[in-house]
Amino acid sequence: MSVRRTLVAFLACMALASCAREANPPAAATNAPPPAVTYEAHVAAGGIEPTGGVLRNPHAGDAAVAKSGAQLFTAMNCDGCHGAQGSGWVGPNLGDGRWRYGGADAEVFSSIYYGRPKGMPAFGGVLGADGVWTLVTYLRSLPAPGEVPTESWEQP
Amino acid sequence: MRCAFSLASFLCFGIANAWAAGGAATAVDDGQWTMPAKNYAATRYSGLAQINAQNAHALHPLWTFSTGVLTGHEGQPLVVGETMYVVTPWPNVLYAFDLRKEGYPLRWKYRPDVSANALGVACCDAVNRGAFYVDGRIVYNLLDGHTVAVDARSGRELWKTAIADLGSGETVTMAPLVVADHVIVGASGGEFGIYGWLKALDLNTGKTVWTGHNMGPDADMLARPGTFRPPYDGGVDVGATSWAGDSWKTGGAPVWGWISYDPELDLLYYGTGNAAPYDPEVRAGDNKWSASVLARRPGTGELVWAYQFTPHDNWDYDATGAMVLADLTIAGKAVKALVHFDKNGFAYTLDRATGRLLVAAPFAHLNWALSVDLTTGRPVIDPARQTGVSKGKVAGVCPSLEGAVSPASPPAYSPRTRLFYTSTNNLCMDYTAAHATHLRGTPYIGVDSPYHPGPGGNLGAFIAWDAASGRKVWEDKESYPSWSGALVTAGDVAFYGTLDGWFKAVDARSGQMLSKFKVGSGVVGNPIAYRGPDGKEYVAIYAGIGGDWALLAGDTRSDDPTDVRAPADYIKDIARHTSQGGIVWIFGL
Ligand code: HEC
Repeated sequence: MSVRRTLVAFLACMALASCAREANPPAAATNAPPPAVTYEAHVAAGGIEPTGGVLRNPHAGDAAVAKSGAQLFTAMNCDGCHGAQGSGWVGPNLGDGRWRYGGADAEVFSSIYYGRPKGMPAFGGVLGADGVWTLVTYLRSLPAPGEVPTESWEQP
Repeated sequence: MRCAFSLASFLCFGIANAWAAGGAATAVDDGQWTMPAKNYAATRYSGLAQINAQNAHALHPLWTFSTGVLTGHEGQPLVVGETMYVVTPWPNVLYAFDLRKEGYPLRWKYRPDVSANALGVACCDAVNRGAFYVDGRIVYNLLDGHTVAVDARSGRELWKTAIADLGSGETVTMAPLVVADHVIVGASGGEFGIYGWLKALDLNTGKTVWTGHNMGPDADMLARPGTFRPPYDGGVDVGATSWAGDSWKTGGAPVWGWISYDPELDLLYYGTGNAAPYDPEVRAGDNKWSASVLARRPGTGELVWAYQFTPHDNWDYDATGAMVLADLTIAGKAVKALVHFDKNGFAYTLDRATGRLLVAAPFAHLNWALSVDLTTGRPVIDPARQTGVSKGKVAGVCPSLEGAVSPASPPAYSPRTRLFYTSTNNLCMDYTAAHATHLRGTPYIGVDSPYHPGPGGNLGAFIAWDAASGRKVWEDKESYPSWSGALVTAGDVAFYGTLDGWFKAVDARSGQMLSKFKVGSGVVGNPIAYRGPDGKEYVAIYAGIGGDWALLAGDTRSDDPTDVRAPADYIKDIARHTSQGGIVWIFGL
């Protein structure tokens, strides 16, 4: 009960924080279902890319939104499945700069908004588009580590 | 049940063989392994003695099979007549191997349709703890919350029942137990704030017969006045009144371990998991009956007694480890005992008729409590190790929330040596509780808990324990946390595996190493012994690192180029010695 209230209060506060920003889409646009996107990494048959909807992150690169996103990442229990700072648990590492479903803003948005088949819940319903963009902004702000394909146990 | 001795008899299973509590050491072993822990008493003791302390040095691998699955291979195979049955982690494939033919080809394999969504909801890897054989049927659980019964001869599905709700955070990893015509099952989800329960299904139809919750009002718990008699801390609706407000409704207390049964007392025994969330301050009170052992009637589900190992769990100390039933002599008196090695570091010996505590002593390094009071049954807690959001970081709590032993690693008991055998872990943690939001379908946890090694220079061990006196008899130290179950045989050999991938045979009386072999991946499964169609004794074990270990030491994974993780800082080099991969191994002389 009180938990629900906390959640609602948190979301309201997120909304307020973002309402204060001019770049935000109005409420109606937030509620319209986002279009399906094309996946940059997919191989296109015949070499011909399908057309798809265009999704633009209204907060791209905004450090203040990324900071709210970090809080939202914990408040929405993303950390319970992806580990603190998205370092990986039952869900994949989100800070390694490598992506199963693509790392472009629109692709990360789709992962969070609609969910993914191997256990990623759909958060679009509870968060709305703006909440999801806030998380996308946070995840895209994580510093991807340099190439770390090699792990060595030999003494240098 | 004359057919018990005939290896050709496929459908036959003598209940007499199933009951092997401590006393029955002399009963002839039928050479099969038909239920998860060998018998209802959960002793994981095989009466076979061809392999013994004199010849075990000659043990060597005879056969291997890749299961095709990479996640943690907990649990154990079954051997019924001339067939070996293996259940894999998700997607929970069931294999039936023909032990009469060279190379043990498959008779059949059964591939259920299991939802991939379960992979996100299962807290700690997509594990399965094994199947149960009864009356020509193999019964087991699917990760996405179903129980299935499969015809043991043809591999055809007989029924499939939904028992758990994935959307509310329930998955099923435990091994069922069948008593008469009731299949007893429970759900995982202590990390999702489920309302924990145990259910009985009808063996013939799969329909739910009764559901008993592990907390809540007496009516939900099937606790009836007059028949529910906990030895300590009773009271009307104590399963609800010992939780602040209605926090019991999301209090966890899952059932993801093992069930045992005493046919003479007609009581089922099982442990419940942690209380949710990990911040104890939002659920003031004892939180009964999380982190407890419960005794129920299998026919009706009626609760008869309960005992709580960790009141008001502050540290994620699940009590889902095995409840081993053994007839012991304590201070000169014969006792029908129940022995349990808890995550919290104490080994408990209870009177299994009443739940009264007889012995409680640390089997590994711990500091959250000073002792357990035998008159009140309660731990004497160190206030400095109590956790909660208001306390901030509480440093140096031992054991870690991985447990002084994982409940996934069941012990064994030999009526010959009168000793218990178990893997142990030696880790401590810094526990910082955080506020958690209960949001359906997402975790309800709220903790940061980095681990560090406990004292002594070893991270794990395999020990022999005298449960009558509460004393460690010997200890084989291990460099890594020990995550496998134990097996002990009438040849006085004990078997276990290690996280860095060794399968070991040791002298059950001294702990002296008899043989070891590197099995290709870390061992988190449980060894079994059986008599093959050729009359010879064999030992089988799964390799396949996983469970919490694949998640914590993420660099033991090599299957996903889009998910690259750093090593765990307290076992930096485990990935030097092992990586994922499910393999069934059979050893013999
Ligand atoms: C119940 C566990 C769970 C929760 C809660 C959860 N995730 Fe996931 N997440 C997963 C799993 C499992 C996958 C992998 C799904 C797959 O491969 O189909 C995943 C995948 C993803 C992906 C795609 C990663 C890639 O490599 O393409 C993103 C992005 C993501 N999650 C972000 C989040 C965010 C943000 C939250 C919180 C709002 C969240 N997740 C909450 C389990 C979870």
